[in-house]
Amino acid sequence: MTTAPRHSGQWLWIFAAAFCAAALLLPFIGPFGLDFGRVRAREEPDWSILIQLRLSRTLLGLCAGGALSLAGSLFQAMLRDALATPYTLGISAGASLGAVVAIWLGLQQIAGMPAIWMAALAGAAVVLALVVGGALQQRRVSAFSLLLTGLAANSMCSALIIVVYGLVSPTKSFSMTRWLIGSIDSVDYTALAGFVAMIALSAAIVMRQARSWNLMAVDPSWAATRGAHLNRLMLSGFGAGSVLTAATVALTGPIGFVGLVVPHVIRTRIGADHRVLMPCAFLGGGVLLAGCDAIGRVIVAPSEIPAGAVMAILGGPYLVWVLRQRSAL
Amino acid sequence: MSIRLGIENVAWRVGGRAVLSGVSLEVGEGEVVAVMGRNGAGKSTLLDIVAGLRQSTGGVVRFNDRPAADWSPRERARLIAHLPQAVRPDLPFLACELVLMGRYPHTDRWFESDEDRAAVERAMRRTDCWGLRDRLVQTLSGGERQRVLLAACFAQSPQLLLLDEPSSHLDIDQQLHCFSLLREERERGVACLAVTHDLNLALTYATRIIVLAEGGVALDVPVEEASQRTDWLHLFSPRLTLSTTASGRSWVAYE
Repeated sequence: MTTAPRHSGQWLWIFAAAFCAAALLLPFIGPFGLDFGRVRAREEPDWSILIQLRLSRTLLGLCAGGALSLAGSLFQAMLRDALATPYTLGISAGASLGAVVAIWLGLQQIAGMPAIWMAALAGAAVVLALVVGGALQQRRVSAFSLLLTGLAANSMCSALIIVVYGLVSPTKSFSMTRWLIGSIDSVDYTALAGFVAMIALSAAIVMRQARSWNLMAVDPSWAATRGAHLNRLMLSGFGAGSVLTAATVALTGPIGFVGLVVPHVIRTRIGADHRVLMPCAFLGGGVLLAGCDAIGRVIVAPSEIPAGAVMAILGGPYLVWVLRQRSAL
Repeated sequence: MSIRLGIENVAWRVGGRAVLSGVSLEVGEGEVVAVMGRNGAGKSTLLDIVAGLRQSTGGVVRFNDRPAADWSPRERARLIAHLPQAVRPDLPFLACELVLMGRYPHTDRWFESDEDRAAVERAMRRTDCWGLRDRLVQTLSGGERQRVLLAACFAQSPQLLLLDEPSSHLDIDQQLHCFSLLREERERGVACLAVTHDLNLALTYATRIIVLAEGGVALDVPVEEASQRTDWLHLFSPRLTLSTTASGRSWVAYE
């Protein structure tokens, strides 16, 4: 197979344009038709629906999708596996366990923030500490030991979630199920600003090292013999990737597939050069998740399908197709 | 820039077994050293230790009289290129992207300069793989991939080449081409350690032959001497003899 020479730069502009277009247009999609004239005149309720509900929700979708997709492309490079996801290392399982425990205990607020967010972040932090601690026992942080400790964390957290499930009332178990599917909801702008700041910082840390991720994606010893600081690279990647994942999962619940599907599709189109792939994955993932959320709120209006479910319905068949392609190789 | 590699008493033990126990040798610029020995003799281990991929369990490695531990990974990568036995990227990289990665230690630019691209083209033309530049690495045959990896080493413009079986997967003509490239590098002062199992390639193209056996250096002689002696052939197999070709070259024959 021959690929034409890549003009990678132009892809960045295309994705950036799609991202901006999504931010501007998606807030107008919803069960309640907005009148453009009334919005311009800032008349209620159209203005509030647009700004307070739909815009914040769209921005959350864009950033959450971007963060998950970027984290996916990062972990795929770090673990050298095109099927790795932000959830492979157990971070989101930890966050889910934290959230489920918060629902179980009926906590409303911790330190002035919604209890589910704080508990999810705490759960992710515990898993992060366990996995990094486990992997650091050896002198080197290897992809393999990260994968194994992540696997252990994943199955332990899932088991504990099932235990908690058995202890709660049907009402609570319903809200747990709902949370575990993952959805984008309107958030207030203070929380959104904090979230965006965290995502922007970790995304910058990850993308700044894009040249090193290229080396890492080939082989760790390939990276080492070309002058990369292996341990420093693995730790900063794991740290920043975990923040991207944990912050997102805390706000939206574990939304599957975006971290797998988006980097994979983009890679097949524009190649594996992470200097272009990573920003494109961020922009593309954001557009896809915000788009899925917009579909979910109109397709069975007046009720809603959570964005996580829309993603899974679209992503499930795609994953099967990817696996078929792989076995054909 | 010149290179002097000093290996002093290097040992490597794993699981109670001493793969290397006290290997010492010095390699200076312009040497093409064939590192030989039977399976499991520690050839790749020795190269990995010099490349910094493994920590020796004893002894010290020096580059230009400075202990390896004092070199930053980046400084070391400007000085040394390592060709591993196998690289199989799972992600869809193009051949030219793989070779471009050789420029990593030389620049801080986000995208490579025209100068870097020129170095890549030169390296790929030399190893006869410029035509493969837009192919996905996954779709290359073993020999094609080997040439691309060798080009990546040349693109790194090192002073010391560490090649772990550079001629594996190559057809005969490409094997000869590969080793004559090492002779060319020698003219530019580059030193080279190449692991190979082909005694005749070593006798034809190397300047020095080192045989590892039982954890140590069993033979370390200039190639002229090796082609006069027969007492070292038993280190590989009892079924080898040294003969002379019509053009007067020494040639190892099988019985």
